[in-house]
Amino acid sequence: MLLPSVQRGLRIGAIAFAILTYLVLVGLPLRLGDLALPILAGAMALFFWLALRGGKSKQDVFNRQPALLFTAGLSGGLTAGLLIAALLAVFVNLTSSGVRLQPIFDKMTPPNLAALYGVAPGAIVGGELSPLAWLQQALLLTVASGVGAALVLVERWARGRPTPRISALRWIPLLLPIALFLFVLWLGMPGVTFGGNNRGTIRLLAAMVTIGAGILALRAAHPGRERQLLSLLYLAGVAYLPFTLDQFQNSVLGIVFIFVMMGLGLNIVVGFAGLLDLGYVAFFAIGAYMYAFLSAPFSSPWLSAQLQSLGIPANAPLLSFWMALPITMLAGWIGGVLLGIPVLRLRGDYLAIVTLGFGEIIRLFMLNLAELTNGPRGLLNIAPPYLFGYNLGNPRDIFILGLIGSAVIAFSAYRLDNSRLGRAWIAMREDQDVAQATGVNLVRTKLLAFAIGALFAALAGQLYAARQTNIFPENFSLFVSIDALSLVIVGGMGSIPGVVLGALALKGLPEVLRGVDEYRIVTFAALLVTMMIVRPEGIIPSTRRRRELHEEAEPVVGEDVPSVLERLAPELKSDNPDGGKK
Amino acid sequence: MRGLGVLILALVAWRVVTVGLAEGYPATFWMSQLINGLVLGGVYALVALGYTLVYGILLMINFAHGDVMMIGGFTGFFALQFFMALGWLQGPAALVALALILIVAAGMFGSVLTGVTLERVAYRPLRGAPRLVPLISAIGASLFLQYSVLLIFGVSPRVYQKPALIEGGFRAGGVFVPYTGLIIFVTSLFLMLMLYLIVQRTKLGRAMRAVAEDKGTAALMGIDVDRVIVFTFILGSALAGAAGVMLGFHNTVVKFNSGFIPGLKAFTAAVLGGIGNIPGAMVGALLLGVIEAIGPSALGIPTEYKDIIAFTVLVLILIFRPSGLLGEVVSEKRA
Repeated sequence: MLLPSVQRGLRIGAIAFAILTYLVLVGLPLRLGDLALPILAGAMALFFWLALRGGKSKQDVFNRQPALLFTAGLSGGLTAGLLIAALLAVFVNLTSSGVRLQPIFDKMTPPNLAALYGVAPGAIVGGELSPLAWLQQALLLTVASGVGAALVLVERWARGRPTPRISALRWIPLLLPIALFLFVLWLGMPGVTFGGNNRGTIRLLAAMVTIGAGILALRAAHPGRERQLLSLLYLAGVAYLPFTLDQFQNSVLGIVFIFVMMGLGLNIVVGFAGLLDLGYVAFFAIGAYMYAFLSAPFSSPWLSAQLQSLGIPANAPLLSFWMALPITMLAGWIGGVLLGIPVLRLRGDYLAIVTLGFGEIIRLFMLNLAELTNGPRGLLNIAPPYLFGYNLGNPRDIFILGLIGSAVIAFSAYRLDNSRLGRAWIAMREDQDVAQATGVNLVRTKLLAFAIGALFAALAGQLYAARQTNIFPENFSLFVSIDALSLVIVGGMGSIPGVVLGALALKGLPEVLRGVDEYRIVTFAALLVTMMIVRPEGIIPSTRRRRELHEEAEPVVGEDVPSVLERLAPELKSDNPDGGKK
Repeated sequence: MRGLGVLILALVAWRVVTVGLAEGYPATFWMSQLINGLVLGGVYALVALGYTLVYGILLMINFAHGDVMMIGGFTGFFALQFFMALGWLQGPAALVALALILIVAAGMFGSVLTGVTLERVAYRPLRGAPRLVPLISAIGASLFLQYSVLLIFGVSPRVYQKPALIEGGFRAGGVFVPYTGLIIFVTSLFLMLMLYLIVQRTKLGRAMRAVAEDKGTAALMGIDVDRVIVFTFILGSALAGAAGVMLGFHNTVVKFNSGFIPGLKAFTAAVLGGIGNIPGAMVGALLLGVIEAIGPSALGIPTEYKDIIAFTVLVLILIFRPSGLLGEVVSEKRA
């Protein structure tokens, strides 16, 4: 039994080494500075914990015998430590013998090299890796792995104990958002010096956490009067937020809620109807450009020439923000239908690629049709919204408009989800053929999904254009689609509150953590893959999705798809374990 | 629907004829464009085969395949630097040839390593999950590869320097043929032949075909499905790695996102030929390369719209003939 556990340790150690090498190569220790050692050691301890405990299904012998657990853990830590020390030694020797690493590895400039040893402070003595450094590395990682193994034991001990149930405790999560909200208010009071220079950032973060906690608390509340009261309270709090936050905080939350609007639209297409759309940015762009044409026709050479030939002065907006609203919505609707018609017959991944192609085509047209769109120079001086002569273009009012827009769209999406059309979407998502057989008009249902989703994106686009006042083709790259899609997925496909949480996590947090902006997309990407493996249903799953994704694991081989009945009512399956499977 | 397709085809043909008559380019111009197209098509074919192989077996689009190719391009670049430092590339022709082969092999190795890791980490845990799940995972993997390369190797593009021996070209009937173009085309044909032999003549190839046909039955016949899938990824990534190196020599630069557009185009090629169909991918890729090279001048539109042509072809094919040129209908049935 000892040998297999050592083997397992070697495997875990090799993976730990790969992770550490990756982190060193992307320059993370450099960025973390003095904190590199504790953070990396902590991360490694967490990694060893996760690696040693195994998945739920792997209740193997190692987890039951502490001795074997520690053998595996410590041998893993030792392996990783020795390997990373060897790697550092190679780097040091190469540098001291005059080889420049920087042309290959971007982060390996000589001054940075020292910082990269954040894993082992004092490791370089006179240009050479000190012999002690080997020991240090090995020891450090062995300790981390020991902590990881101990965590496994602690976790098991904690799970073995009965959890206390006190009914009063239930109120703590429900009242937490209120406490957070008061904290936000307190931070904004004059004379409060808490947090020093970071007070603004802390306040923004607290405001975002408040919104997120509010949403989670509402889900934990009992349905009925309790939930209604709480939601009224929370809504009032959120509505008050724009008036107490400063310009920067409002502008960050403004963009977050523009993405909420967009995400809610995409949620209809992807989450409700199950049509994976990778070119969703096209509709966002259509909305933004449509409003820009109506509001700043003078920016577009072709349009201003046309207007002049018609005798209309082109140096002023054609329509106000409010008058333009129905036109952008119509443009989005038409765009959605136009995309929808050709792809009616496509499903799944084919659809994804074609929509991606559409998104790129729209962007390339914006870039190359310089006569109409002014090309890469963009459309400038777009008018902000006005209400009774009052300019609503400042961050606070844009945030409020974003909140109102999100609320309207969320309400519509909620009503749609529970309508006949919403059920038709879900039926179509589950199984097109069965849906058609039960009388769902596929053409109409699909086109409506595309059109309604596109309409919401166009609305978001118009608000975005009004917020930016200048728009350029690069504002509408594939990454906007990917951002929108990730926030829908992270929040939970088909879940309306999930979209808000996803937008806060994916659009809001990076703004707060400006320093790690460089690592934003990589983190995203890793999160996306991990999420798919660990929790494909998202942070706040819609009930149906969760059932769908967490039925008993299907056999690895074979393609037999469970019937619709099984998916909608998994409990039926337990009566007849073999029923429905081929 | 069919009538509409014929109409579009007729419109395009009419446009091509009128532009051709109006512009009156010499025949040699068309020939050299055709050669460009075939060279590019050969590279696309290698990448397209990777998409087709994986799709044939897992019914999933390996969205990160273009980035696997890009990693091959990077590995090949470092191998090139290495041999240049050794002085092999200034040496006699045999040494240069050996070095070039080793460079391509290095690119293949880098890609294979990436592809196999990808399969193990991002795809294998998702076997049997609903189909959107692995696709999203693949999108994540693609972004992860691109931006990791950006972080590790930096933004600045790496420039491939051709050894003096394969610089330049020769004239055949008034048409200039660059040496690199010829080498790329011949190498890709050779690799495709190798792939064909592996798939058709070896035991593992037979296992691959069996798994593509029916995973369950194949497993019952004693085939280790996981192993076959890993083998498929190895084959596809190796071809992509070679393509990455050759694309590096052809475009002279590689950077973190230089796999994205070629990957998309190779996917288009695979769909054009009928995804899951090996000869189809080759035919589709050569066709797409030629369309892309000749298209802008034949249609009389600026070359900036080159990418739009490829995407439009993809959209039109999927709408009017989702099965591709040589394929069976999969976009609806199995999707």
